[in-house]
Amino acid sequence: MINTLRELRAERGWSQGDLADALGVSRQSINALETGKFDPSLPLAFRIARLFGKGIEDIFDDGLGHMKKAAE
Amino acid sequence: MAEVTFREANKRYRRAFVPVMVVYTIAVFGGSYLLKQFETPPTWLAAIVALIMAAPVGGVLWLMWRLSRETDEYTRQQQMAAMAAGGMITAFFSVVWGFLELYNVVPSLWTFLVGPIFFLSYGLIYCVSRRSFGAGFEK
Repeated sequence: MINTLRELRAERGWSQGDLADALGVSRQSINALETGKFDPSLPLAFRIARLFGKGIEDIFDDGLGHMKKAAE
Repeated sequence: MAEVTFREANKRYRRAFVPVMVVYTIAVFGGSYLLKQFETPPTWLAAIVALIMAAPVGGVLWLMWRLSRETDEYTRQQQMAAMAAGGMITAFFSVVWGFLELYNVVPSLWTFLVGPIFFLSYGLIYCVSRRSFGAGFEK
């Protein structure tokens, strides 16, 4: 899954460790999320979205969003 | 499941792990010393000593289980995958060795070694997976 976590973190000047602490997860988790090696659970995705004040779909893209838009 | 952060879960693990290991060390050395006092230790006493020595290992396994429940989901996934792989390696090794033993190719293996084989393979796989997935950290 593609995500904008790295960009959002950079905008705020946070390190991976800062974001990990804010979410209560390991730095490895943040790295795995940013590099797309790991997809978060729904509760973690909500926590991330709330932290950045955005919707889940603003941060995470499963690559099928364009199909939904085309159908509309 | 209690809601604890990754750091808190690790702290809880370390805090409990050290005393369990102290108990294990005391049990191993104390038990061996006690049994050496007898020319032929009574079976019941040997059994009790052996079970007391093994109990802290059960404690460590429980701590590993608790840590996997309390840690963050990514680490849990890594740990569970490493445990499963460690278990499979141990099982496969045991089966291969068992067949070789059946045809007298190798000597009989000490059952005691199964535990260390599991912990070693689990630990190695977990370290390798952390190294490969942990590459490229930003401070």
